[in-house]
Amino acid sequence: MQNCPAIVAVGRTKFGEHYGKEPEKLIEEAWLGASRECGIERKDLQACYISDYFLPITNKLGLEEGFLSELTELHVPMEVTRSFSAALKTACHAIQAGIYDTVLVGGIEKMTDRWDKIRDDLMLLEDPWSYYAGGTPEVNHELMLRAYIKKYGIKGENLEKLNVALAQIAVKNHVNATKNPNAQYQRSITVEQVIKARKSSRKSLGLFDFAPISDGASALILTSSKKAKKTVNNPIYVLSITSATDYLDYPAREDLTHFTATKLAMKKALQTSMVNPAGLQLLELYDQSTVMEMISLEDLGLCQEGTAWKHIYESCQNLQGYYEINGKKIFTNTNGGLKADGNPLGATGGAQIFEVVKQLQGNAGERQLPSDIQPQYGCSLEIEGFGTKSYVSILGRNHS
Amino acid sequence: MSSEPIERRVSYLGDRLKISRCTICGKEYFEVRDYCSNCGRKSYEKMALADLFFDKGTLELCTLVNEPTNKFTKLESYVYGVISFHNGKIRVPGRLTDQIIKDDKPLDLTSLEGKEVVPRFRRRYMVNKSDVIPTISLAFTFADEYYPHQEYKVIHPTKEYKLPGIVGYGVYSSSFRIQEGGIERAVPYIDEDSMTAAVESGKLALIHAGVDSACVGKVYVGSESNPYAVKPIASKVAQVLKLGKEDEDTQSVDAVDTEFACKAATSMFKDAAALVNYPNTDVEYTMVIGSDNSQAAPRGCPGGELDLFVGYGGAAFLFGKKDVIAEIEGWYSCTSDTPDFWRRDGEPFPMHGGRFTGDPAYFKHVRKAAVKLMDKLHLKPSDINYFVPHQPNPAFPTKVAKDIGFKEEQYKSALIVNKFGNTYSGCSPMGLAAVLDVAKPEELILVVSYGSGAGSDSYVLRTTSQLLEKRERQKMTVRYQAENPHIKYVDYTTYRRLKLGM
Repeated sequence: MQNCPAIVAVGRTKFGEHYGKEPEKLIEEAWLGASRECGIERKDLQACYISDYFLPITNKLGLEEGFLSELTELHVPMEVTRSFSAALKTACHAIQAGIYDTVLVGGIEKMTDRWDKIRDDLMLLEDPWSYYAGGTPEVNHELMLRAYIKKYGIKGENLEKLNVALAQIAVKNHVNATKNPNAQYQRSITVEQVIKARKSSRKSLGLFDFAPISDGASALILTSSKKAKKTVNNPIYVLSITSATDYLDYPAREDLTHFTATKLAMKKALQTSMVNPAGLQLLELYDQSTVMEMISLEDLGLCQEGTAWKHIYESCQNLQGYYEINGKKIFTNTNGGLKADGNPLGATGGAQIFEVVKQLQGNAGERQLPSDIQPQYGCSLEIEGFGTKSYVSILGRNHS
Repeated sequence: MSSEPIERRVSYLGDRLKISRCTICGKEYFEVRDYCSNCGRKSYEKMALADLFFDKGTLELCTLVNEPTNKFTKLESYVYGVISFHNGKIRVPGRLTDQIIKDDKPLDLTSLEGKEVVPRFRRRYMVNKSDVIPTISLAFTFADEYYPHQEYKVIHPTKEYKLPGIVGYGVYSSSFRIQEGGIERAVPYIDEDSMTAAVESGKLALIHAGVDSACVGKVYVGSESNPYAVKPIASKVAQVLKLGKEDEDTQSVDAVDTEFACKAATSMFKDAAALVNYPNTDVEYTMVIGSDNSQAAPRGCPGGELDLFVGYGGAAFLFGKKDVIAEIEGWYSCTSDTPDFWRRDGEPFPMHGGRFTGDPAYFKHVRKAAVKLMDKLHLKPSDINYFVPHQPNPAFPTKVAKDIGFKEEQYKSALIVNKFGNTYSGCSPMGLAAVLDVAKPEELILVVSYGSGAGSDSYVLRTTSQLLEKRERQKMTVRYQAENPHIKYVDYTTYRRLKLGM
């Protein structure tokens, strides 16, 4: 990437229920974290790119830029997008174009303030026709799982293994979250618990297969590579950030078993970053459900379509915390993923980038990958809606 | 909170499941589109509009919803999935309706996938009582259950009659029943009401008559349980059934609701027939629908005695002069101001004058209308093949028939109250339909309605030979619905819950 943008600092709040806090308190906390880390102050910011998926609906708050301006006494250009990756992508373009050299990228969501209506909002925003037909935020995950099982003819013992594999995804993410002080659920769960929850809900996916609703904020400071080198000694470079789009309406899509948008975004991301996919070992996946994490492994090309469950099942027997696919160790959602870290929509992508940056810098503390694994780059996948948009970011310690 | 423009747009597309097809590449889209996304600009003005209203689909994938979003909570649990039409060329989301899913029984989703489903016209979801009622046809039932798939084919008429008459009809009732006191009564599913039954019965009448819906010039809907105090059911029927020629998003048709307790529909038979007989008119056909989710206060409350007999259903009749199945030989109506049953504005349930509803009300008017018409046409009870009285309960019609001098074989085919309950405005029309289902050509039918308040309409109809030809086109006969193996029986508590609706 020409004029490669660099992340000089990341910050975030704990995800979870922040009943007592105004939305602006959360973004302030995330920003201060990043600011402290790199010494960049608000007066240094030339622009802000903020994401929130539906703050105007949950908190009746329009013109989010205004409250940021009040908070920071900044009058610089500010733009709002609906996902953190979208904000980061726009910010990267501005840096690459040479318009700015220091910008803030932030994300915020306050979902618990509207907990009683949140599932209606989520489904209506995901796809109105599915909502009108009686859909819930969970149904498409369950339908995709059924489509997958049918397409690949998984039955009998294999079907049981697939169900265990999906449970293992949640178990692994919860284990990772126990080492993440910012995670919403810092406790372990068992495969039996996941399966029991499915049985009691009488469905293929249960409570422990889905990410929660959360409040939280995340932020990062993005600079040009030139400025980055002067500011910190370990900047992380955005080697590529790409996206692709698909229909709102899941039933109308051609492929009901995979996310076309993810496949397209990944293809472009690899082309732009010129990263060898064989070296990808560190990934933050968008596990709104365990099914989404499984399918995403295939969509990103980490394994052959229809086989992810097998690899997960085989490699998760002793809770080693990684998937072994074709002899290669793949670490996904080391922060606990959306499942256990939390999923405040507009801020989620920021927490994913936060984790990749910390891992690449070697600052992930207890969560740091084993010392024999020193990845040069990491990848983050963020999805909007149910696969309506996919963003793939590839971050690296170095850039060419 | 609801938005009327959004509700209307969703209804406009969703009530009939409108689709667009590119005539260049054949790709199909749910909703109305001016362009094909494959063919781009060259497809402009080459998109064919169609809909899935009379189609059948396949349930491709499904899952259970038992924690619905807020607007669907009254449906409790339901199966939701992906439904494909036209061999998978078009796929839509949908929920299965008419299901009460028990928590203790295992649900085998795999056995449901691959089955054929039929779109049903239903309420979309719950709204506040003061809001516009949203509707949709993304509700489905299995084609091999109560409601079969029937093709709608327009058939060119072969014979023109001198006088107008009935050219087709349809009866709709739900698949739920309550069994009490030796009778069965139809119970709507929770997403049904008098409006959805009016549309469904009209749809069945179009299928039976084989009439082009664009040739229908006026629709009358009689009901005493319109969920709106102001806003016609008839406008919904006209739009959803595409009655009259379509001109942009309006229909060239007159539509009106009528109200006179249980005779709101039969009163309009003569008007509907007269209109098609008007010289130099382009009104080829008219439609009269009687439809009710018959209201009654809970048992033990004032007016609660009605709760023993109320049913749910609708019947639609098409009138015209071509391919008539029953000619109207004559009619008689009588009216008096007799307050035997009423519902004040804003009250949810009607009140009932107890024994006053018998002699001075029902018996007096029904007897007079029957006898006067037979006198007028110089007929004796023995000349009549079938007598169809209004049926508020099982005892009244039998008593009045005997009083007038009819034998059991003359009125038993018409007795539907034992199977569906009193369907108010739909009651004597459903009885008439039950007779037309079994009558032979050249037979005489005397139908006498009764509306509280009070009045009666009587008609003498003579069946034609075309009655038999058209009979094959209708699977949803009254008997089919009365004796259907897929009927689901509910208890009193469930009946009250379903009847109150969403």
